[in-house]
Amino acid sequence: MAAVKETVEAVKGLEAYKHGFVTDIEQEFAPVGLSEDTVRFISAKKDEPAWLLDWRLQALERWQAMEEPTWAKVDYVPADYQALHYYAAPKTKEGPKSLDEVDPELLETYAKLGIPLREQEVLAGVQGAPKYAVDAVFDSVSVVTTFREELAKAGVLFMSFSEAAREHPELVRQYLGSVVPVSDNYFAALNSAVFSDGSFVYIPPGVRCPMELSTYFRINAENTGQFERTLIIADKGSYVSYLEGCTAPMRDENQLHAAVVELIALDDAEIKYSTVQNWYPGDPETGKGGIYNFVTKRADCRGDRSKVSWTQVETGSAVTWKYPSCLLKGEGASGEFYSIAITNGRQQADTGTKMVHLGKNTRSRIISKGVSAGRSSNTYRGLVSAHPKATGARNFTQCDSLLIGKTCAAHTVPYIEARNGQAQFEHEATTTRLSEDQLFYAMQRGLSQEEAVQLLVNGFVREVLQELPMEFAVEAQKLVAISLEGSVG
Amino acid sequence: MTTALDLANPDTFPSRRDEDWKYSDVRRLLRTMPPASPVGVVHGGGPFFEHGGDALTFINGRAVGDDHFTAFGDHVVRLRFVSEASETGHTVTATVGARRNSKLIILESHEGAGSAYVAHNRLTIAAASGAEIVRIVLVDEPADALSITQASVTLGAGATFAQTVLTTGAKLQRFETRVKHPGEGTRVRIDGAYLVEESRHADMTTEVDHVGGNGETDQLTKGVVRDAGRGVFQGRIIVREGADGTDARMGHHALITSDRGEVDAKPELEIYADDVSCAHGNTVGALDESALFYMEQRGIPADEAKVLLTEAFLMEVVDRIGHEGARERVRAWLMERL
Repeated sequence: MAAVKETVEAVKGLEAYKHGFVTDIEQEFAPVGLSEDTVRFISAKKDEPAWLLDWRLQALERWQAMEEPTWAKVDYVPADYQALHYYAAPKTKEGPKSLDEVDPELLETYAKLGIPLREQEVLAGVQGAPKYAVDAVFDSVSVVTTFREELAKAGVLFMSFSEAAREHPELVRQYLGSVVPVSDNYFAALNSAVFSDGSFVYIPPGVRCPMELSTYFRINAENTGQFERTLIIADKGSYVSYLEGCTAPMRDENQLHAAVVELIALDDAEIKYSTVQNWYPGDPETGKGGIYNFVTKRADCRGDRSKVSWTQVETGSAVTWKYPSCLLKGEGASGEFYSIAITNGRQQADTGTKMVHLGKNTRSRIISKGVSAGRSSNTYRGLVSAHPKATGARNFTQCDSLLIGKTCAAHTVPYIEARNGQAQFEHEATTTRLSEDQLFYAMQRGLSQEEAVQLLVNGFVREVLQELPMEFAVEAQKLVAISLEGSVG
Repeated sequence: MTTALDLANPDTFPSRRDEDWKYSDVRRLLRTMPPASPVGVVHGGGPFFEHGGDALTFINGRAVGDDHFTAFGDHVVRLRFVSEASETGHTVTATVGARRNSKLIILESHEGAGSAYVAHNRLTIAAASGAEIVRIVLVDEPADALSITQASVTLGAGATFAQTVLTTGAKLQRFETRVKHPGEGTRVRIDGAYLVEESRHADMTTEVDHVGGNGETDQLTKGVVRDAGRGVFQGRIIVREGADGTDARMGHHALITSDRGEVDAKPELEIYADDVSCAHGNTVGALDESALFYMEQRGIPADEAKVLLTEAFLMEVVDRIGHEGARERVRAWLMERL
């Protein structure tokens, strides 16, 4: 009964939201509000080339002409876009050359979050432990990226977005906005105008990235939004696994996180993108505070036989609105989406995926597990479509929802659009509550009700947890337990 | 769309920007109010004539006699919506009810003749507690007609409602059924089959709203699309807070037998109660190649094998009709069109 023991331990370690602390550090802000000047300010801070500034300004113009969308099943007070800081950065001297020059407060923050920024620390564990490189983004800037040299030996480029824009403008220029165009949607346009930092990854042809890459996002400052931009390019025949984690302090006001992630997979390339999202969910009783997580994530499988796999564990945020998608353009390209979305308290999530089959014999698979508890609302919204040319396209979708308690809600809104006679789409969905019999069985064997619920939920989401890289899977399992705290009794 | 569709007011014509009409864009085909359809004359007794019962008939929007019917005891009513018009439009408003513990069979036919008409049918159906309503619908309209039928069904406690709709589509055809069960322990079966060819469009939209507890919904829709036809299925099952003990299942399965056909499906579950069991399944695909091969191998010509498989696929819906006489009539109707 190792799983039970693990669950029991996880329960012992429960805290409401353990990442809710604030780092007291001197920061530099952009003036409040959003205008052309803000965009120029950010671009100047980042020392960006002129074309990028133009690109941002164009996005701002588009954004100003757009209206905030309202179609999702979420109810929130819109952010006041003129009351935010669009740039917040820890004050430093000339960018730190080594980890020793990084503000100790920052290092302390990451240590508290359990993120290894010192390469030796990563290695300090068991011998042969897998390495993973980290890009740590604090509010608007990347503070440190580890293992760069080792990666460079393999030809892998892993750096902050700002550095990439300076050092590899040709790659950035070629791919930026090619998957999520500037005017794609309201939040993508906003991000394009004011994005501050994020990660840039390029894997050269035929290279299997020697370690897991990861980015850790942290919102710290008050009244700021975080707008990161991630761009991953997997050239022909390459492979990369990338992880993303996020947390924020507990604050009474809502904070905005509007990221854009663009993935490009060329012929025979594979990208595995995993997210563990644990932004502050707001107060479970009053619903006060918490992060608005409005994210656009899209993968362009443009190469033949390319593959992108999204795995997400969504446990945080007051309002989540995101649909990691795959455009399956190359012949035989495939896309996968594995998701666990857990809402508790007064959280609201409207999340799912889009699998757009454009090429011949493209395949996709969607496994979504939603758990709602408390007074929360959890919606799966997904699109599977096949273009007339996508003959032989296949999709399998399974979305299961679990309800815990009488005041939560679970919705399933799939869109299936088949435009040719040789595509095969299968979709199944179920909504149930926790089985009384199973609960009884677990409790009869000495588990408390809460432990029993966590055990059953862990079983319910297991299929998706298995898709996560090992270290993350363990973390995610604990997170599942924490998110459900107080959901019963 | 915030206001109800009204042919006299073009502002109410929905477009694909309205989420509920995403796949059936009325505004693209109709921008202005169509001229009123002329007075018409009804011929014959409709496809269900031999089943007798009372007739409630409308032609070009006008009632021939009463525009409402209420059943006490056991009744059969033939509800006929006849359109015989060209490039004109008409609206019907009809009401059918079943009193407490009564049993009503509605044999409904949409009989279209003429061309390019616009028909809008608004039907209100109410079943009092313990009443049982069976609604069987055959929709037969010209390829250039635009027709929208919207039925609103309310069920009392312990009432039963079983519906089967068969259609071959039109230029744009929408068949909408919204069922609300405020009472406890209602049972709903809501089925449909569409067979669309050429460039026809058939949209089956349903919404079943469980307000009272212990309700049951069982839904099966099947469709076959040929040529450049388009089939649309939108099903929504809502389970309100407190509607515990609800058991709802929804299935939509479609076959596309051409390269240009299209099927759009949106099977939704909206759940606000935890003691429920809800599921939906949706498949879209081509005819089973191995089954075709098997039949051809045994000497059945490919075309015939396709028809046989298509027939078997759609007949599952027909087989679920409880009323024997009507079931055979519907089966014959479908066979003629395969």
